[in-house]
Amino acid sequence: MKPGAIFQALLLIAIAAVPAVGEAVYFRDKISWRSRIPASDIVDLDLVRSWGGTVIWVDARPDDEYQADHIPDAISLNEDRWNELLPQFLGQWSPDKKVVVYCSTKSCNLAGDVARRLREEAQMPQVYVLEGGWEEWLAKRR
Amino acid sequence: MKAIYVIPAALSLLVPALAQAELKWEKTTVELSPGVAEKQAIGHFKYENTGKEPVRFKSVKASCGCTTAQTQKDEVAPGEKGEITATFNIGDRTGVQTKTVSVETEPGGMITLTLKTNIPSVLELMPNFVFWQANEKPEAKTIIAKVGKDVPVKDIEVTSLNNQFDAKVDKGPGEGQFRITIAPKATTTPAFATVTVKTDYPKEAPKTYYITARVAAPAPAAVNNPPAPVVAASPNPGS
Repeated sequence: MKPGAIFQALLLIAIAAVPAVGEAVYFRDKISWRSRIPASDIVDLDLVRSWGGTVIWVDARPDDEYQADHIPDAISLNEDRWNELLPQFLGQWSPDKKVVVYCSTKSCNLAGDVARRLREEAQMPQVYVLEGGWEEWLAKRR
Repeated sequence: MKAIYVIPAALSLLVPALAQAELKWEKTTVELSPGVAEKQAIGHFKYENTGKEPVRFKSVKASCGCTTAQTQKDEVAPGEKGEITATFNIGDRTGVQTKTVSVETEPGGMITLTLKTNIPSVLELMPNFVFWQANEKPEAKTIIAKVGKDVPVKDIEVTSLNNQFDAKVDKGPGEGQFRITIAPKATTTPAFATVTVKTDYPKEAPKTYYITARVAAPAPAAVNNPPAPVVAASPNPGS
């Protein structure tokens, strides 16, 4: 390869890097560099099904979406009415149960926020978030 | 000759960026600090059409159901100013909440507006749930109530809504802290209670928080033996 071609390639990379770096710095607080939910806390539907009857489903979506349809036996717990709904959930929880929270789209943070509050505020150890959420369950339900 | 390759390549990178500069936004991130009693946080994203042709809003979508976004008009004439209003319903959320609004314009493409709301915390309860297994020793469990930064809470009042549990409050281990202790009278039968924690702030509508206390039902002795019903108080939280 000619040295001139290498120079041109490097020059183009340098030109492209200027706006890329500028954008990364300017939008640094808006870029999701990593998921807010630790990978170990995200579980897929097959794993949840393998847990059998030890699972409590928690629906983190808004009330209207829960009322329209939800996973059978799922308990509604969202941050719109957290103070009202939390005692209802806690009345059904037991230490031998695994809690799996879901919300409506793959990109939403509602399930992650609810899972975090259950861990931090109610100090529950076994709280997970369903990968793919409600849509994943719809696609794989049988 | 080298410039023949480099200049068009550089222009191909720069021209699309310049072409998107139709709507000029005053800010694409708005930070809000609503008061303790406020139920909504409203952000105003102001813009101006600095281009030479009209800009049309193709879509304006909020990232979650708790946020709504409204445009004043569907089309913005050259030189015209306006704003998109994003309304975030606080509900029972706490801490810093970041919600986004995706705006698609023609011409212009997609831009993301960010509404960052810092919801003040009057009182933090750690934990807000205490639990006893059936027949566990009915010892008191402790909850630390921590007053939020710069919040003038002087006192709290703790009440168990079920007389099967005793609840009391003392000064906590640190400044701005209270120690709440809750104990069941017995753990031989299942029980459930909401314990209210009423603050003295704000004066016009003091904030109330809730702790859930529960004694579990004993494990069923036989398969056909249904679990004993939970004796519940009739809490009315959320007010």
